[in-house]
Amino acid sequence: MKDQVSAVRSRLSGKVTGRRSQVSGKYWSLVASLLGMTILMNAALLVAQDKAVVLKGGKLLTITHGVIENGVVVMQGGKITAVGAASSVSVPSGAQVVDTTGMTVYPGLIDSESQLGLTEISAEAMTNDLVEMSDEIMPHMHVAEAFHAESTLIPVARMNGITNAIVAPESGDTLPGQDSFIQLAGASATEMLMIRDVAMPLNFTGDERRNKGGFDKRKFPSTRMGLIAQLRQAFLDAQDYKGKLAEYERKKADAAHDKKPEPLAPKRDLKLEALLPYLDGKKPIVLAAEGPSDLETAANLANEFKLKFVLNHISHSQPVLDYVAGLKVPVIVGPIYEAPKDDERYDTVYRLPAQLYKRGVKIAFASYSAHNVRNLPDQAGFATAFGLPYDEALKAITINPAEIWGVADKLGSLDVGKMANVVVANGDPLDVKTDVKQVYIEGRAVPMTSRQTWLRDQYSK
Amino acid sequence: MQRTRQFVLLLSCLAAILPCSFGQAASSKGGNVLIRNAVVMTVTHGNIKNGSIYIKDGKIAAVGESVNTPVGTPVIDAGGKYVTPGIVDSHSHIALDDDVNEATSPITPHMMMKDAFDYQDKAIYRALAGGVTTSLLLHGSANMIGGQAIVIKHKYGLGRDEMLFPNAPRSIKFASGENPKRVYGSREQLPSTRMGNFAVQREALVQAQDYMKEWDAYNEKVKRGDKDASQPKHDLKLEALADVLRGKLMVQIHCYRADEFLTEMAMAREFGYKIRAFHHAVEAYKVADQLAANNVGIATWADWWGFKNEAWDAIPWNAVMSMRKGVKVAIKSDSEDYTRRLNQEAAKTMRYGGATEEEALKMITINPAWIVGVDDRVGSIDVGKDADIVIWEGYPLSSYGVPNKVLIDGDVYFDRSLPGLGMTHYREGQ
Repeated sequence: MKDQVSAVRSRLSGKVTGRRSQVSGKYWSLVASLLGMTILMNAALLVAQDKAVVLKGGKLLTITHGVIENGVVVMQGGKITAVGAASSVSVPSGAQVVDTTGMTVYPGLIDSESQLGLTEISAEAMTNDLVEMSDEIMPHMHVAEAFHAESTLIPVARMNGITNAIVAPESGDTLPGQDSFIQLAGASATEMLMIRDVAMPLNFTGDERRNKGGFDKRKFPSTRMGLIAQLRQAFLDAQDYKGKLAEYERKKADAAHDKKPEPLAPKRDLKLEALLPYLDGKKPIVLAAEGPSDLETAANLANEFKLKFVLNHISHSQPVLDYVAGLKVPVIVGPIYEAPKDDERYDTVYRLPAQLYKRGVKIAFASYSAHNVRNLPDQAGFATAFGLPYDEALKAITINPAEIWGVADKLGSLDVGKMANVVVANGDPLDVKTDVKQVYIEGRAVPMTSRQTWLRDQYSK
Repeated sequence: MQRTRQFVLLLSCLAAILPCSFGQAASSKGGNVLIRNAVVMTVTHGNIKNGSIYIKDGKIAAVGESVNTPVGTPVIDAGGKYVTPGIVDSHSHIALDDDVNEATSPITPHMMMKDAFDYQDKAIYRALAGGVTTSLLLHGSANMIGGQAIVIKHKYGLGRDEMLFPNAPRSIKFASGENPKRVYGSREQLPSTRMGNFAVQREALVQAQDYMKEWDAYNEKVKRGDKDASQPKHDLKLEALADVLRGKLMVQIHCYRADEFLTEMAMAREFGYKIRAFHHAVEAYKVADQLAANNVGIATWADWWGFKNEAWDAIPWNAVMSMRKGVKVAIKSDSEDYTRRLNQEAAKTMRYGGATEEEALKMITINPAWIVGVDDRVGSIDVGKDADIVIWEGYPLSSYGVPNKVLIDGDVYFDRSLPGLGMTHYREGQ
């Protein structure tokens, strides 16, 4: 018995010791170096790859211009340089040709909300940087500054064809901070963070009322009324702050003109400063609400300040879907696995993507996860069983999110000039059974390994 | 006033009658029906294209390409759809209104799940709509020994006792690892370490041995006619543990780590009981040959990982790697959410490790039925078994398979084509 236990431990002694250790920082670097994952990855990306890579013979799901059987994708200099039927695309000389006969080839998938890089082990607090709960209004939190590029979770997600994702703080605050848009490969956070502060969540689901509870414990804001008042005040403060800044600039210009000493600059306020691009409609707010009432309250607030927004969740807003369509904004659907209310039919939330699509609303799926980002396409597939057309399901994890997040010129379809984020799989990307064989990010084959494949291989010997 | 009360009384009588008079009646004997024009996935003897299943008195009476049925047997034309046995979820905590942990002591074997069973919980319906017909409702893992489980059939709309799986074997839930040590450790009580966990478990089993000895000695004295023999005290807790030692309870152990499987199996040998299955069992792939040698099954997830330290080595190949070493593997939910789509979860094993269609299907039918101890009655489409059947839209082992109809004991309980909730034995406000 004792021998058996120690035998198990000795096979993985380094790792096991590290895993049980409380010193998480050292542990992570140990894991990284043990696996050699990061190093491999880095090395792969540092090698300049000018040679063209040609994926030949697969079924291409281009997203924007249909399906091409026996197609060819040419990738060079990190970009897609040609896409088409084998008969019409010439293979550049000296190219590396990859036979993808029998395979399905499609653009890298995009997850419209994840917590990748912000967590490792959910139950271990020191491995989490998910949301700053000291106040409800925290727009000056930037996930980019917590994003852990070496996270063990990233290769796990990437291996299933997810090449890009929104990283968002968890939804504990009404304004928990600013999202980043990442590429799931790169030598460092700098390389992986494609767009820092791409958008800002505004959560109004009732869950943010952390100060509710017994009357003896309550403090402001403990109700939806309080939360909205607090939000409104924050945007009003930001407006005032903007006014002060403008006044300062005016006075400064006057002073320069009159050759007088510069006026005193207003004191910097990081929170209000963070709100300005959103107040100016330069970046979108990601407005999360569940039911009709919360949705309308939050949307009214957004309109009051003329904020540009996309909707998020709205899982229980079925009675007001026409209103939603009238807002003419995209919706991040999901999680479609959210339970219906007790009086609702079992498929009430499963059907939501289809119902929105039928009303002309642009939708995108999100995993709302870190460990399960890899299952993003399963959700899109499942939605087709509840009325969403297949092509629309595919768009909702490719071109639609690319458009929503402002990267449709680079991502979301197999089109010439776009970034060569391409997936080769042995079948339908939306089916749970499909195995992804190779992922290319900026034209480079990423290692199809993760800590999980390493463990599998260790115990398959 | 008086009249109103009579009216209310009348209404409640009606409500009691309605479930049986609406839709297809749930007769006490079970339904009679012929399902024809189906791809029958039997689980035990392959697929039958264009197959039929004849159900008589709630049991499968015949299966094949053509079956003989009495004139007048109601017919369900499956229209070429796939038909599988009802899904068995061997690890569920639904319908318990959060009464899963009597977390006031680490040893509570006398907590009976039946006493907390909330048979009106809509989660039972939502799982039914996902094709689940049988579930093992287990205690949580706060305690080393949590209590005794129940097995239910998802006959949503019927009464409490009608939903209990008749004469199902008794199971008891053990737990190990992080949860007990966190719950009691946070109170600065024993156990706060894995050493403490196992010491507490061993101590309880030793007490049960002593208790059994006391009673055996007393019964022996009585048998000899010793009138001075004094009866030992009845102790519910030790009585339950004695049933573990007597082999009357199937032991289901929440356990993640490989080393703990080995310790648990050693303790089972030490005290002479059998472990039926390790639940969660995310590191089973590391010691699969030893689990197989001890005939211990596993009820695991398809791909959950990383949510806590002891789930850090969880890999999606676990199920198939363990199966290939001879372990009986079930894919279970442990979740109100995932229990609604266990077919998709099972399909993942075809991708991670290359399970065949039948092997994948076994992981949500006959294998969990074995873990629960009802594999002689459900889990495959075989003559003599309960007619718990799912008719699918789409291919069940895919992202696209969703139940069209679900039958239990030959009666339809869920029908997707019906308006409202799609249920046949339930009325709003019931």
